Amino acid sequence: MDSLIASNIRQRPTRTLISVAGIALGVLLVVLNTGLVRGMLNDRIKRERGIGAEIQFTRKGSSVLSPSSVMSLDVRYGDRLSQIQGVKMVSPVGRYVQTGRSGLGFEQVDGIDFESYSAISGLRIVEGRIYGNENEVIIDEFKARQSNLGIGSEIQVFGRKMKVAGIYAPESGARIKMNLTDLQNFLTAENKCTFIMIKVDDPNQEQTVQKRINNELPGNIVLLTRDIATGFGRAIPGIDTFVRAVLVLSTIVSMLVILLAMYTTITERTREIGILKSLGASNSYIISVIEKEAIVISLIGVITGMAAALLAGWGIEKGTTLQLEFHWTWLLTAALIGLCGGALGALYPAIRAANQDPVKALSYE
Amino acid sequence: MSAILKIENLTMTYRVGKVDVHALRGVNLSVGRGEFVSIMGPSGCGKSTLLHVLGGLLKPTSGRVLIDGEDLTNMSDADRTDVRRRKIGFVFQRFNLFPTLSAEGNLRLAEHIHGQGKKIIDDETRREVLKLLRLENKMRHKPLEMSGGEQQRVALARAVINRPAIILADEPTGNLDSENSEVVLNMLKQLNRELNQTIVMITHNPEAAAVASRMIEMRDGIIVKDNG
Ligand SMILES: Nc1ncnc2c1ncn2[C@@H]1O[C@H](COP(=O)(O)OP(=O)(O)O)[C@@H](O)[C@H]1O
Ligand SMILES: [Mg+2]
Repeated sequence: MDSLIASNIRQRPTRTLISVAGIALGVLLVVLNTGLVRGMLNDRIKRERGIGAEIQFTRKGSSVLSPSSVMSLDVRYGDRLSQIQGVKMVSPVGRYVQTGRSGLGFEQVDGIDFESYSAISGLRIVEGRIYGNENEVIIDEFKARQSNLGIGSEIQVFGRKMKVAGIYAPESGARIKMNLTDLQNFLTAENKCTFIMIKVDDPNQEQTVQKRINNELPGNIVLLTRDIATGFGRAIPGIDTFVRAVLVLSTIVSMLVILLAMYTTITERTREIGILKSLGASNSYIISVIEKEAIVISLIGVITGMAAALLAGWGIEKGTTLQLEFHWTWLLTAALIGLCGGALGALYPAIRAANQDPVKALSYE
Repeated sequence: MSAILKIENLTMTYRVGKVDVHALRGVNLSVGRGEFVSIMGPSGCGKSTLLHVLGGLLKPTSGRVLIDGEDLTNMSDADRTDVRRRKIGFVFQRFNLFPTLSAEGNLRLAEHIHGQGKKIIDDETRREVLKLLRLENKMRHKPLEMSGGEQQRVALARAVINRPAIILADEPTGNLDSENSEVVLNMLKQLNRELNQTIVMITHNPEAAAVASRMIEMRDGIIVKDNG
């Protein structure tokens, strides 16, 4: 019987290829999308934690979470924050969001006050030097490696060419950094920033300090960095719905592809099904022959899809600023969707085949 | 002689639109173990219908059918299929081999279905059948690479390999030239003689019918002549 399945699969190479491609597409969709969502979130979380400040102070309309480029917070809040008990250091950051290099995703630029920022985050120049004028930026090692940038390279920031003066480590916040004052000038937002990083004396007391800031400067947003990090998944609107839609979509694609493929197949093989019946094959035997064939095709599709996803993921990471992270639970989910979708899609044709009238099937031309 | 096949008052009526077609109108027949029976009759007299009922492919309108002691009459489709798997070997005019499988693959498939996944045909029986049908060197060939006579021999091997209680052959030489017909008929005869295989064969060729030990003639859905 195994050879019957194998020979059926070989018999119609085009049909097999199309079905495999359909299943692979579904798998690719799931793996890439979940990989992207996961990769982007974890990357953001990692870099958010990398700033080293326990608390971030901001105000409505200058959310650090949305791609808004409006700087509406007065940097002089920094002076008042420093005076609050438990606050060790502060550093204002202006965040500007621009579309990604390849048009995919978005990229951020941080305007920083180098001295206070590096005091809080431990940021240091590992190559080259700090930005020296309004036309220079520093970038992190990932950005340098991924975008193939070195000291003296040109880089587009808000539509104009800027020069890479230095490369810094470790990763924190936006990958491109420039002088806050220069950013303010570009955006004609004198003395403004997006948020203020706050380092506390005792990290165990961060909540107490958070409460104190809220009391002394009410009406602003005082966030714990760790809450921001874990909140990304929830804060990017619709991300769950998006992932779920992708899952449902690829299940449907897998099902339909196999349904169509097996449906035409069983019509073509009506007489062979009659022969199976004349040999005494039971309904469940016939269903299992068709199901096994569908599952083998789906399995090939799943493997192809995984390979394509890994390849595409590699290409995306190389060619864009997007980052992917494949996790085994999602790989497994994608594989199950391909296999179950295929098996489910084959069920209707299989049952139809099994219930054919044997005498009619045998005389089918 | 113990009857391996027994039919009592068998009728089969097809309904085509509002018209009833009486294909079988009360057939009585008893076939003993090891008999080779041929059934002749003009086209449309109900031969194929009779064979399909005997093989459990069709449920009769009324009457009784007993195959090797099992009463098909009130069985469900699934149970009749199971009797067919265990007791019947079909041979058709159009060979009905799986085109994508080799001769070997066709035999293995029949064995697999018969044994429900377990190997129950011993190699000795297998060799004997292949030798008898002179197929030893044809097993790797696909149906389309074989002559009609060879294909029908593979179909014969497939029917007999599981040692069924009865082989039901519906015009097995209908698609063959006279030379190949003779080979196939001789082999049926040999299977009957050497393996004591019970065979019921439909034909409308009197020469073919003559190889059987018992000849039956049908007309308009009833048996009109039986020399057994
Ligand atoms: N599926 C069917 N539906 C309606 N009538 C049928 C069907 N099969 C056979 N018949 C009719 O039953 C009669 C007997 O047919 P059949 O058993 O095939 O005869 P034979 O094999 O002797 O030529 C014929 O009149 C035929 O037209
Ligand atoms: Mg006929």
